[in-house]
Amino acid sequence: MSEHTVASFDEDLGQISRLIRDMGDLAGSMVGGATKALLNSDNALAQRVVSDDAIMDARQRELDDRAITLIAKRQPMADDLRHVVGSIRMAGDLERIGDLAKNIAKRVGTVGLSVTPRDLSHSIDAMAQLVLIQVQGVIEEYAARDAAALAKLRADDERIDVKYTSVFRELLTYMMEDPRNITACTHLLFCAKNLERIGDHVTNIAENAYYVLTGTQLPANRPKQDETAMSAPAA
Amino acid sequence: MSQMLSPDMTIAAEAIAGKAKIEVKNLNFYYGQSKALKDITLSLPERSVTAFIGPSGCGKSTLLRVFNRIYELYPKQTAEGQVLLDGQNVLDRSQDLNLLRTKIGMVFQKPTPFPMSIYENIAFGVRLYEKISKSEMDGRVEQALKRAALWTEVKDKLNASGLSLSGGQQQRLCIARTVAVKPEVILLDEPASALDPLSTAKIEELIDELQADYTIVIVTHNMQQAARVSKQTAFMYLGELVEFDRTEKIFTSPREKRTQDYITGRFG
Repeated sequence: MSEHTVASFDEDLGQISRLIRDMGDLAGSMVGGATKALLNSDNALAQRVVSDDAIMDARQRELDDRAITLIAKRQPMADDLRHVVGSIRMAGDLERIGDLAKNIAKRVGTVGLSVTPRDLSHSIDAMAQLVLIQVQGVIEEYAARDAAALAKLRADDERIDVKYTSVFRELLTYMMEDPRNITACTHLLFCAKNLERIGDHVTNIAENAYYVLTGTQLPANRPKQDETAMSAPAA
Repeated sequence: MSQMLSPDMTIAAEAIAGKAKIEVKNLNFYYGQSKALKDITLSLPERSVTAFIGPSGCGKSTLLRVFNRIYELYPKQTAEGQVLLDGQNVLDRSQDLNLLRTKIGMVFQKPTPFPMSIYENIAFGVRLYEKISKSEMDGRVEQALKRAALWTEVKDKLNASGLSLSGGQQQRLCIARTVAVKPEVILLDEPASALDPLSTAKIEELIDELQADYTIVIVTHNMQQAARVSKQTAFMYLGELVEFDRTEKIFTSPREKRTQDYITGRFG
């Protein structure tokens, strides 16, 4: 991409890109940290994730300020306009990912999870790994300006949805086996739902990033399969 | 919409809807030996605003000046090809130039009121083409000034000199003068570039209203203005038509890299 005649315009756009990358890195570390804290009952790590959320919020506010100022000062057009507006939207999704990671972290150490959570959470671990790959991948592909990879990444969310369905069934089985598992499993179910929601936000980011890069929207309908829809209450 | 497209141009024929008022076909234009327009082909829909954008010297004003053959006022300027107004080639030698210029009015960058009263500024042009009574002329002047959103500001001083008005008012007076002879097409060459933001807003509001009755072509260096007022936009560069599409498309995701570089300020 060639440079603008006005060099400070490039600097302004660059700062917005840097903030998106920072927020993406932070989101990845929060999701990874929250899951690890959950599986290892690591309260200190969970606490760090909770406090990281304040940093995430501050970054989003800074990005909003910079984007609004840039629009007012530069009246961006075409790919610049898509970049700025797309960044505002992506920052919103990253901030929500931070909230959901914090929500997972806050469940660490709550009543019920002291009961050997690792035995109950093998499949959550696998699901979390999938989600983490998506969170880290989406910002990397955007930075690499790889639209095809973003389209694929968006489609890959399907795997998280399928995994969520199997986690849901697995936890249901544990609860039926032994009512003493119910509290822990309910917490884990919420965590799984949060991971699934994080996947949806990654999907939104991939769609926005694709639009920023190409100027065209991905088709509205992504194949979606939610087998828990009939049997699971909304979390 | 013509199918005769130059190979290095992107034109979204299907996206630009409406009956063509002006069709330009394989137009070349020369200032002496120098070629200023290169094989331009495009079609401007009726009762709609079309913007021409591009860096200085790209040929956008030249193209505008071909439409009413105003270039013929200067020596050694020649046009080849066709410019069809409702199917009639205005470049034909048999074309009556006075008639052409009543059909295609023009407003310039710098307001050019005649050194006469506000009333006479409008009546003068009408008298050249029509013989009408004093009361009819009064009506025509009032109607033109109302159309140009100037009536309430000048109705009590119609005998004051046109030159006593502010720049923005003078420009609206020029638009009123153009509208008074009942043209079909209005060409605007940087009509607001010398005006303050409030006067600019009034001109833009006026363009918005006038498009219900007239086919409007505007040349502007202000990209936001092109984005605001026009329905389709043509980007020109070095005498070529690079891209012609719906304005919304041009300013959010143009097809051509040259268009994108220009509108985002990355040129050169």
